[in-house]
Amino acid sequence: MTAETATFAVPRRRAVRRAGATRMLPGHAAMILLSLICVFPVYWMIVSSLRPANRIFEGTLWPTAPSLENYAQALQSIPMGAMLWNTVVVSASVTVIQLLTGVLAAYAFARFRFRLDWVVFGLVALTWLVPLQVVMIPNYLLVARLGLLDTVTALVLPHFAHALAIMLLTQSIRAFPKEVLEAARMDGAGHWRVLWGIIVPNLRGMIASLAILIFISTWNEYFWPLLLTRTAENSVVQIGIQMFITQEGTQWGPLMAASTMASLPILIFYVVLQRQVIQSFMKSGLR
Amino acid sequence: MHATTFAPWEDPEAKPLIRFQNVTKRFGTFTAIDNLSLDIYEREFFALLGPSGCGKTTMMRMLGGFENPTEGRIELSGQDISGVPPNKRAVNMMFQSYALFPHLSVWDNIAFGLRRDRMPKIDLENRVAEMLKLTRLEKFAKRKPHQISGGQRQRVALARSLAKAPKLLLLDEPLGALDKKLRQDTQFELMDIQEKTGTTFVIVTHDQEEAMTVASRVAVMDEGRLMQVATPDRIYETPDSVYVADFIGDVNIIEGTATPDGQDTYRIDWAEGQEPIRATSAHPFATGDRCYLAIRPEKVTISADRPEAAINAVKGKVLDIAYLGNISTYHVELPSGTVIKAQTANTRRISRRSFTWEDSVWLSWTVTGGVLLAE
Repeated sequence: MTAETATFAVPRRRAVRRAGATRMLPGHAAMILLSLICVFPVYWMIVSSLRPANRIFEGTLWPTAPSLENYAQALQSIPMGAMLWNTVVVSASVTVIQLLTGVLAAYAFARFRFRLDWVVFGLVALTWLVPLQVVMIPNYLLVARLGLLDTVTALVLPHFAHALAIMLLTQSIRAFPKEVLEAARMDGAGHWRVLWGIIVPNLRGMIASLAILIFISTWNEYFWPLLLTRTAENSVVQIGIQMFITQEGTQWGPLMAASTMASLPILIFYVVLQRQVIQSFMKSGLR
Repeated sequence: MHATTFAPWEDPEAKPLIRFQNVTKRFGTFTAIDNLSLDIYEREFFALLGPSGCGKTTMMRMLGGFENPTEGRIELSGQDISGVPPNKRAVNMMFQSYALFPHLSVWDNIAFGLRRDRMPKIDLENRVAEMLKLTRLEKFAKRKPHQISGGQRQRVALARSLAKAPKLLLLDEPLGALDKKLRQDTQFELMDIQEKTGTTFVIVTHDQEEAMTVASRVAVMDEGRLMQVATPDRIYETPDSVYVADFIGDVNIIEGTATPDGQDTYRIDWAEGQEPIRATSAHPFATGDRCYLAIRPEKVTISADRPEAAINAVKGKVLDIAYLGNISTYHVELPSGTVIKAQTANTRRISRRSFTWEDSVWLSWTVTGGVLLAE
């Protein structure tokens, strides 16, 4: 290469890079706009929770006189601590139990061949399409007969297994490299060891994603707790938030403060597990 | 002093470690293994060689316990092993993809099977250390599979499969993922390890060079049947079918009709206008029998003039030259249109090469240079 071409090579490459960046600009702008649309309601909730009652509807982006009085009022009006604790217990229990039943059922569906296995799998998948309203009355009667009305146990009991967890985990186990399982089997590992010692540690990403999904959907559950709980102390935070909407009107300030407090644990849970999801994606690939 | 030749298959008293007795394996209507019988002896390095779909992996999976024969019997040390689960056999397997446990370190991968056997801690640590030393992986013991190279992963897989000291180790295309140079080096390492441990190795490969390098015996397979089982030199020098001759190495196949012409010698009429050629064969041919002369290119001599004493000599024109550095293969077209390959060692510099394209040349070979085959 001559000195002349060498001199021209670098600016040319820069120009190409600049052209590439210009092409990507509309895409980036659209993504930033979409992110703002998603984040704005959360931002507005937090900002509104800091506005005093008389300025709750002001349209500024930041409260003119920020205060924590809405938080104090929310904590006085409802047993926020007990409700948050109940919600954490219910969400964590449901998440752990659904993952446990999901992993066990998925392993059976993925690894064992039995008569009409595909029919059983199809029936399990169909349960996903059955809305809560259809099973609400029988489940309510069952819980009532068990004497579990107005208890945290009753909130967990009907959610012991979910078709989504079973289906997603079945697909993941089916896609798991067969040779790795055969190697474990050859080295003397039985089904139990293969499942917990080989498959589960390598499906961490999938399990973490599922855990996030189950935890959030249980946290946001409203209808079933509304039906079962009688006292605020045994209820969950979603019911607590609803208590600020009364016939006399809506107490927007405390409602926003309670919503902010209810969102925080779930945000922390997501951030912690999201790292697991990303790490497991980075470590995937067996060869 | 003569070294003792390892050839238990020639000893009628020797008891095989593995015995396939009329084994057939069907998957639905497809027959993967067709009435196959085979003996493999202790300390052998046995290669199953064949194209994709010939049944070699099915044979290996039956030995591993992942498949059971539809008919027939497989014995390991005289015991029928049909129905015995993989972990209850004194067999281990090194998988093509290595199948390492991604979440475990190299050390834990090797220790996995020993832990399942509840080996005492001190013995386990010693055994893992021994395996790490054998496979030169001491420095990588704490690393995870994704933190080491392909060659090192291959060695981890080997160490893991040898850790439980199996009687028989199955290797499914073990070097397939390595580049050519590393593969060649690893072939010798494998042979060394096999000799040191004394374990019987059965390797599945479609790479004939690999099979010829590492194996004490090679079984060439096609469509679920054994075409020939012999030592690499016999397979190469005296193939017993056109299929084997063609599958192993480069070969010229000349088709013709045989006429007895002296003891074990036959005259072969092969192309109109061409002088008949002569070849010896222990297999008897009657007058007019169809026959195939398989002759390796390196057994064919190329010269400018007809060699005086040559019994088999044909004239042709150089059509192509494949220069491979150490050797050159000349593709010579005969007046009949047949192309015959001849190979010469490049003992002289390329600028001094005797022949070039379009040159008129003579090809010659001895009566015993080729193998006369019936099918």
